[in-house]
Amino acid sequence: MYILAIESSCDETSVSVIKDGHEEISTVILSQMNTHANYGGVVPEIASRMHVENITIVIDEALKKADMKMENIDVIAVTYGPGLIGSLLVGLMAAKTLAFIYNKPLIPVHHIAGHIYANNLVKRLEFPLIALVVSGGHTDLIYMKEDYSFEKLGSTLDDAVGEAYDKVARVIGLPYPGGPLVDKLAFEGKDTYDLPLPLDDDSYNFSFSGLKSAVINLVHNERQRGNEIVKENIACSFQNRVVEILVKKTMKALKEYKVENLIVAGGVAANKGLRNALSTASLKENINLIIPDMKYCTDNAAMIGAAGYYAYKRGDRAGLDLNAKATIPLR
Amino acid sequence: MKYLFIDTATTNLVVAIIINGKIAYMYDNNDNHDMSSKMMPVLYEAFEKSNLKPTDIDKIFVVNGPGSFTGIRVGLTVAKTMAYTLNIPIVTISSLEVMASGICGTALINARRGYVFAGTYDEDLNVLYKDCYVLMNGNLEKPYVSYDDFEFETMKPKLNILKVILKHENDEPMNVHKVNPNYLKLTEAEEKFNHDREN
Repeated sequence: MYILAIESSCDETSVSVIKDGHEEISTVILSQMNTHANYGGVVPEIASRMHVENITIVIDEALKKADMKMENIDVIAVTYGPGLIGSLLVGLMAAKTLAFIYNKPLIPVHHIAGHIYANNLVKRLEFPLIALVVSGGHTDLIYMKEDYSFEKLGSTLDDAVGEAYDKVARVIGLPYPGGPLVDKLAFEGKDTYDLPLPLDDDSYNFSFSGLKSAVINLVHNERQRGNEIVKENIACSFQNRVVEILVKKTMKALKEYKVENLIVAGGVAANKGLRNALSTASLKENINLIIPDMKYCTDNAAMIGAAGYYAYKRGDRAGLDLNAKATIPLR
Repeated sequence: MKYLFIDTATTNLVVAIIINGKIAYMYDNNDNHDMSSKMMPVLYEAFEKSNLKPTDIDKIFVVNGPGSFTGIRVGLTVAKTMAYTLNIPIVTISSLEVMASGICGTALINARRGYVFAGTYDEDLNVLYKDCYVLMNGNLEKPYVSYDDFEFETMKPKLNILKVILKHENDEPMNVHKVNPNYLKLTEAEEKFNHDREN
């Protein structure tokens, strides 16, 4: 079964053709990152404008790359949320139009389900599993008993982890998107700054705004005292706290739910500090850890096509009145 | 010839199918706050009721602005996707021209903070005052035609879609990948960026 998948929830316009939920036939990703870098972050209206300019070009390229025509496609899958509403709408309207014209089933896909199923393109998921989803917009711990069954154990109460990274990056003077740069700097520094371990409680929830504020205050106070801040050390101290709490709660979930499979998903899954720490902990606890290739960590339609296949098998269908939603629970 | 007309730029959703110079289907409803949900079911009904398939369409006429940024993108994405995938010629039309098609004058869309999108058209839909984003002012020729409520007198548009189609029937079709909205206004972020750069 061939799925044409469309993803436009933030600043990437992406279209893929995926076979049977695990075989990537073609993917095209048009990133707007360079444009948004001018503004220090994604500007929703600019993102929407760029999506509408590019949507047919990206669909066309994905089909050409797959050497396929719309007639060969069996199902249309599309991200309908969560995300930026104006951005989502462009991909959604294109998907609905294709489903209507070719009379194909339309499968609504939750963006986070997509991130999780990115791993399915690397290696077939094994259940039960715990998924740690970490990105610029999300920080979730999810338990999956079987394919396309999601139980959210916890999530961030405020900033997403990637968001905290970008803000800390800005405070220490790194350009947008600063998250990857903080990760890089962290390896050149030492953990010398006294920063709190955020929301170190019994829940599976996270909170990063306090830690972020602690960094902002620290930098501010040091500058007022005329002290030089050591960027590398701040990056290292910040990253250590973030990684420690993420790993701690993830390992706790694996233990409590008696699960041996762990997958990591989302843009922050590219973070080397996090990858290393999870690898070490997983090795120690005999956990089967799967982290997607870098290319599947950031937003792409391939993951939506993979998730869409299992959503289709579960019986998920949408009508032509499907609307985009900024927030939706993962079910 | 069989034509499809789509306008989602204002609060008024218009979908029409024209067959050989006659309106075969017309949806014209000013109660659509949820354009993205409404658009496709209306399009589906348009084809059902006029007994056509999307492949039967010879040309697509789509309104590309000005108006609601999100609204414009809804209709334009549908039109572009359809034109691209079925290789149907596509042309763009001004939302203000459509508004002035029944009662000619200055069509207005409230752009907030005293600003309007305005364009003045004569009886034959010739442009007398080019569509623009402007502070509302007395120089704009009356009567004013608008769906929006202002503190001054306006008339509700009466659409004459056939007149619009006739005017643009022979317009040169565009490269579908280059069919874009005509917002007539930069985003606030771009305005600020340009302002900061100039100062």
